[in-house]
Amino acid sequence: MWSVILSYIPKWTILVQALLLVVIPLLLMALFGWIRKAIISGYALHPNQASPPIKEDSSESGPLTGRYDTDLSSVRAAIGYNADVRVREFTIRGTENRAAIVYVDGLSDVDIIDTHLITPLMIHGIPDTDQETALRSSDSLQKYIANRLLPVSKLNETSKLQELTRSVLIGQTALLVEGIQGVFLIGAAQGKVRNVEEPLSEALLRGPRIGFTEKLEDNMGLLRMQGQNESLIMSQFEVGNRVKKNMIVAYMQDIADPRLVDEVHSRIQRIDIDDPLESGYIEQLIEDNILSPFPQLQNTERPDRVIASLLEGRVAILLDGTPFALILPTTFSMLLQSPEDYYERWIPGSFVRILRFLAAMLALLAPALYISFISFHPGLIPTKLALSIIETRQGVPFPSIIEALIMEISIEILREAGIRLPKPIGPAMGIVGGLIIGDAAVNAGIVSPFLVIVVAVTAISSFTIPVYSAGITLRILRFAAMLIAGALGIYGVIMFFLLICCHLVRLKSFGVPYLNPLIPYRIIDWKDILIRAPLKVMKKRPYMLRPNDADRRN
Amino acid sequence: MNRASISAEDKITTSQAAVIIINYTLGSGVLTLPRTTVEAAQTPDVWLSIIISGIIVTAAGLIVVLLCRRFQGKTLFQFVPEITGKWLAWILSFTVITVFLVISAVQIRVMAEVTGFYLLDGTPVWAIVMSFMWIGLYLTLGGINCMARIYELILPITLIFFLISFLLSTKIFNIDYLRPVLGSGIMPVLRGIKPALFPFTGYEIMLIATAYMKMPKKAVKAVLAGTTVPLFIYLVTIIMVIGGLSIYGVQTRTWPSLDLLRSFEMEGLIFERFESLLLVIWIMQIFSTFTVTHYAASLGWSQLFNKSLKPFLFAMLPVIFLIAMVPKNVLEVFKLGDIVGNISIFLFGGVPLLLLLISMVRKKGGNPN
Repeated sequence: MWSVILSYIPKWTILVQALLLVVIPLLLMALFGWIRKAIISGYALHPNQASPPIKEDSSESGPLTGRYDTDLSSVRAAIGYNADVRVREFTIRGTENRAAIVYVDGLSDVDIIDTHLITPLMIHGIPDTDQETALRSSDSLQKYIANRLLPVSKLNETSKLQELTRSVLIGQTALLVEGIQGVFLIGAAQGKVRNVEEPLSEALLRGPRIGFTEKLEDNMGLLRMQGQNESLIMSQFEVGNRVKKNMIVAYMQDIADPRLVDEVHSRIQRIDIDDPLESGYIEQLIEDNILSPFPQLQNTERPDRVIASLLEGRVAILLDGTPFALILPTTFSMLLQSPEDYYERWIPGSFVRILRFLAAMLALLAPALYISFISFHPGLIPTKLALSIIETRQGVPFPSIIEALIMEISIEILREAGIRLPKPIGPAMGIVGGLIIGDAAVNAGIVSPFLVIVVAVTAISSFTIPVYSAGITLRILRFAAMLIAGALGIYGVIMFFLLICCHLVRLKSFGVPYLNPLIPYRIIDWKDILIRAPLKVMKKRPYMLRPNDADRRN
Repeated sequence: MNRASISAEDKITTSQAAVIIINYTLGSGVLTLPRTTVEAAQTPDVWLSIIISGIIVTAAGLIVVLLCRRFQGKTLFQFVPEITGKWLAWILSFTVITVFLVISAVQIRVMAEVTGFYLLDGTPVWAIVMSFMWIGLYLTLGGINCMARIYELILPITLIFFLISFLLSTKIFNIDYLRPVLGSGIMPVLRGIKPALFPFTGYEIMLIATAYMKMPKKAVKAVLAGTTVPLFIYLVTIIMVIGGLSIYGVQTRTWPSLDLLRSFEMEGLIFERFESLLLVIWIMQIFSTFTVTHYAASLGWSQLFNKSLKPFLFAMLPVIFLIAMVPKNVLEVFKLGDIVGNISIFLFGGVPLLLLLISMVRKKGGNPN
């Protein structure tokens, strides 16, 4: 009796394993919690210290005095030492009031300054008949000049030195006139910009060949042009503590969920950084999960894509100085959708989309499956195939995991090099790298020819993913899959798949679960995942975004 | 759209509740069901036993739902004290938790055994089990909604692979193995009911899941769907396995369902052998059974002590592991499974009915409508 019970008491190894079973996840959780905390506290998020959309500066340098000489010299003292700041002094015709134009070479439009500022002031001036009314006081002179002598549309007035210097440095032209209290700020930056081109990273065969540029105003214009709609709201924010950049949050007023828009606004106001160089900065500062390999905001250069998302009830963010707009919330199915799916008829659109899902699975799991079939379960694949693979692997001195890692790493290096290479050399290097190294590696007996096929198919598959950042995610995860397949075979691959699924179901992008609308089951939202249903069937906007107006036909 | 309020909204839809039942029910049972029933009944008519037990289980599930709907928003562990008083409730809750833990442990052990036997010969058991349990923990930490979501993801994949592999076995299907129908009378069929009930345990999760449903009124629908799908799967299994291996072949094999797929080869397809493929896919089903029971047991403790759930999720891992490691071999695992199956039939079949009657007599709980 006792011996029977005793025989069931677990051995100490089992007890240690049981202990490890609970200790290791605790440690891991503590580690991840610590990393997350360290990242966030290092960034010093001030949740309640919201920066208002447009910050009013109560600057230390006081208002302009209104005395021409003092003001001009204080302007010179503030920014005059810059090589590109120009000051042009002249006299207004008709009166003997002096005037000065302050502008930045290369930013301001010199043509406008010449024809619309200097010409009216120096050549036309104030005629004798109006002299009396104009010169009565500082205000009347200011009004007269603004109303009669400055034929420009963008005209502001200020009496603060700080605003003057800041405006001049971002491309406006300042006009100081003797006898006037304030200062005119004229025009806007006319820096050199790129023309509207076809987006490089998201080429399509069918669809508008137009992409965003680096200029926010142009991008807003493109968006307005694409979606001619009065409910398109673009609210402006200013981000960046040192370098102020304008940012636009765009949404459809009567479609987007107001709670979503509020959440976006509140997260944007918490952004605390010196200079958001690119929308990627914004993306990383407002995303939900900083440790997830999956992109939680989608970036795009295509105005049509942005408009399509806005019409679904999503929100877009445009930042000055970058052609990449952000779309949020992002869900998993968006990463495998391309605008072309909708422009083509629904049958080819669906076919291509299914193909893409397949390609994504291949890009993620093909090398891992190769490793597990070769190293662990050759019995699973047809005998003849297994035999021929084993035959070609005769001379290979490595286990399949090392073999696959060698090839995968070299192809990733090749791909990375391909981006950096100058255009004329690129294709040549591709051929050298891909063909010659692959062939030579097989001949040298380092890898088996079958693996070269697997690696090549994997690499090509990962190019079918329409969103570049999603492709990178799959590339990272592929290596994790290979390592776990090397340790636990196909069981490991399944565990890896489960882990990814567990992560995906827990992940949210701006409150919207990442795997929506795939799950939970809502047949009505499935019309746009694996297949792209005919447009006449897609009458409803996706439910997951809680649109105000669910009917797509409105 | 506050992040905290969204995660607090840990509710499940009706279809999610159904999927939880299906995924919980479909576990390691499929792998052994033909052997256990045929051993008890000694007749190819066990498919009739399956249908009868399916009906019994549906009835039991409906009783559970009727009981739970009297106590909206409360799980078993929360409403039992109202019916029976504190001490009896403790004993009952403790038994339920133990049953969940043992079911969880049996699933783990069966998974480790088949994986070690068919897939990873020579890999230490702890390596197989630990990764499995950690991923389960990662999932259960996400709450019941996350679990429901992943089951929704797993279910179509597993069912498609399951049906494909079993339908391919029509190659060796022989209808004569299933005839004559009722050749040895009705009694053997009745003897087969009890082992056929074991793999149907799954509806009992409604004792907990009803509390999380957005629309508890539709819980009946969830139970009906949740028992029909496993019934269909089990019918396919038993008919194809007996039709392929005959009742004599079934009894001599430990894992008859896997051996059926092993006994034929398909040429000209990417896969030649389907037993490993099905097993690999079926690991996901075992995963879902494990996570449901792990979650239910931890939730039980946390509600008994009125503490937060997280520490119990961690604490239950080594407990389940130790229970899983107690049996010395596969036969003892099956014995353990039988014991817990017997208990669970009474616990989840009889006790809810008693509770329902008592609560009606003592007028506890709200009107279901």
